[in-house]
Amino acid sequence: MKLIEEKMHIEEKLKILTDAAKYDVACTSSGVERQGDGKSIGNCAKAGICHSFSADGRCISLLKILFTNECIYDCKYCVNRSSNDVPRASFTPQEICELTIEFYRRNYIEGLFLSSGVIKSPNYTMELLYTTLYKLRHEFHFRGYIHVKAIPGADKLLIYRTGFLADRMSVNLELPTAEGLKALAPHKNRKNILTPMRYVQTKMVESKQELALYKNAPRFVPAGQSTQMIIGATPESDYQILNVAESLYKKFGLKRVFYSAFVHVNEDKALPAKTGEGPPLLREHRLYQADWLLRYYGFEAAELLSEKEPNFNIYLDPKCNWALRNLEFFPLEINKADYYALLRVPGIGYRSAGRIVKARKNAVLGFEDLKKMGVVLKRALYFITCSGRMMYPVRLEEDYITKNLMSTKERLPREVREMGYRQISLFDDVKFGGGNLW
Amino acid sequence: MKRVYVAEDTLEGIFSAIYDAWKTKRDADGAGIALKGQMERELFCEYTQTEPDRKKAAAVERMIKKHLGMETYKDICYALLSEDEKKADAVLGTMQAARKILNSTKIMEHLACPAVQKVFALSRKVSNEAHCFIEFVRFKEITNGILAARITPKNRILTCIAGHFADRFPNEDFLIYDETHRIFLVHRKGRPWFLLESEETDFEMLKDELETEEKFANLWKIFHTSISIKERENPKLQMSHFPLRYRANVLEFDEK
Repeated sequence: MKLIEEKMHIEEKLKILTDAAKYDVACTSSGVERQGDGKSIGNCAKAGICHSFSADGRCISLLKILFTNECIYDCKYCVNRSSNDVPRASFTPQEICELTIEFYRRNYIEGLFLSSGVIKSPNYTMELLYTTLYKLRHEFHFRGYIHVKAIPGADKLLIYRTGFLADRMSVNLELPTAEGLKALAPHKNRKNILTPMRYVQTKMVESKQELALYKNAPRFVPAGQSTQMIIGATPESDYQILNVAESLYKKFGLKRVFYSAFVHVNEDKALPAKTGEGPPLLREHRLYQADWLLRYYGFEAAELLSEKEPNFNIYLDPKCNWALRNLEFFPLEINKADYYALLRVPGIGYRSAGRIVKARKNAVLGFEDLKKMGVVLKRALYFITCSGRMMYPVRLEEDYITKNLMSTKERLPREVREMGYRQISLFDDVKFGGGNLW
Repeated sequence: MKRVYVAEDTLEGIFSAIYDAWKTKRDADGAGIALKGQMERELFCEYTQTEPDRKKAAAVERMIKKHLGMETYKDICYALLSEDEKKADAVLGTMQAARKILNSTKIMEHLACPAVQKVFALSRKVSNEAHCFIEFVRFKEITNGILAARITPKNRILTCIAGHFADRFPNEDFLIYDETHRIFLVHRKGRPWFLLESEETDFEMLKDELETEEKFANLWKIFHTSISIKERENPKLQMSHFPLRYRANVLEFDEK
């Protein structure tokens, strides 16, 4: 094995190790603003920058590769599991640095996303990742974005040091619950995953305090921490998943939780049977919508779903669904309602809510004005009044509104629409798939 | 009678015309600005040519910065970089509207005013296009290690993206050529960037790629193909994020 590897061309390695890394969802380069220093190469933009889009329509922002796809673990859902007979390869730190710099110079990428299979031991792997980042930052003077995986089980000191070189660090939760993990990833355990997550969180807080004291203190993972979990490989309900996400945001201070619709790459009796329907993209989409509501709209998981109603409605987006079950909250008067109340109206996003609050200082707003501000009236009209009047005489009645809302088409992202969900008409209020945020 | 000043389509030219228009009539409808070579004559208008004048332009620039604020100044400049025959008129209209409100630095929030709306829309259009090119510019390494790129934008966005690339690559010599407007953005290692307009350009220089270039281009294409998940493939989604018109000089979309 070793012999073949040494002779392998860089082209071949790149192909294998990109192929092995592609199931990782996050490709964002956001969360940190860093100007050039006039000497090194690179800077970072707060909102992140996408540089291309692959054939599946996902954005390409970072050079997303594995250091190696050799792995001592045998996780059943993973293409790199040790029992799979796939070609294996490993980069050297030098190769990764050269690729990153040369791609970056040509404006192909925004930085590096480095993950890895576990080779020999977690510590050995983490050390390789650390060496690579150190080389890239200090020998190649790279100031662009770096996202690195923390390998569960690796020594704290290694994670600590790596954190000062990276912008974002992530530990994959892999599956929403500990039981799922036990069933599909027998060599991993929940505790090992949460420990580094907690550790990174603590160090981030410390680093921030230090920065408040000393302006030039080194920054530990300035763009924050993220994680991802696979959806649809294990039988958890949306309610469970959303609760997990919520506690990750609240208790672990994560920046993002990514959901990855389960893609069949292995045959295993522990995995759900292949159905031919493709990955559960609509479910993934609903989870992202709900995730948005948690992060930007002040919703809580328990408001959106419950034990009795544990899964999202496939016909209605989570916000409409909530509004219909809480009609006593409406109608809201646009010229008076509180910002956070406005956020709860279907058809009003956080941008238009902000505009409304600003604009109503100068004038009394009518429905025409709302339209100009980007409010989707065909959805909002059932829930709002302007100067005490509704747009049309409508009844505030669940069945009636549901029926009307269903007849207006939801703008689902293409990837969901094209994957066989075309027959149903749905609504939506946040445009997903807008590369930067992913 | 309405007096229309005919300006050259440059920042300096338009600012000079605004200066003249502002001097004569400060109210809306009293004065207007048309662009040389792209105006339609209207009835009951008096047309006057305005020559670009550095002093006049500087005065207008100062005035906008002082009274309307830096944010508005940026919006106005971006709007003036667009290709729209009414852009100068809209800027003048915005400035006139700003006189009537209490806090003139908040003028861009008054979207009910048609002129402000126009400036806002144009500025957004230009900054969106500029952002796309920050994403989609592709450099090639040519002789002497110079990085060269070629783009075909609708608006004159080089000014908007120059700062970004100069900050990012302080130690690189790079060129970006705007084919539509025939302007070069030139950056030399450790120096400030500048724009170079030229009627006749020698493109041969830009084609002189280094041998290593093919290797990296090929590696990038390999990456670009391998990163896609087959089960999720979706050309239409890709198209909506990366429209055809931006693909002209982007290597991963070159026909093989």
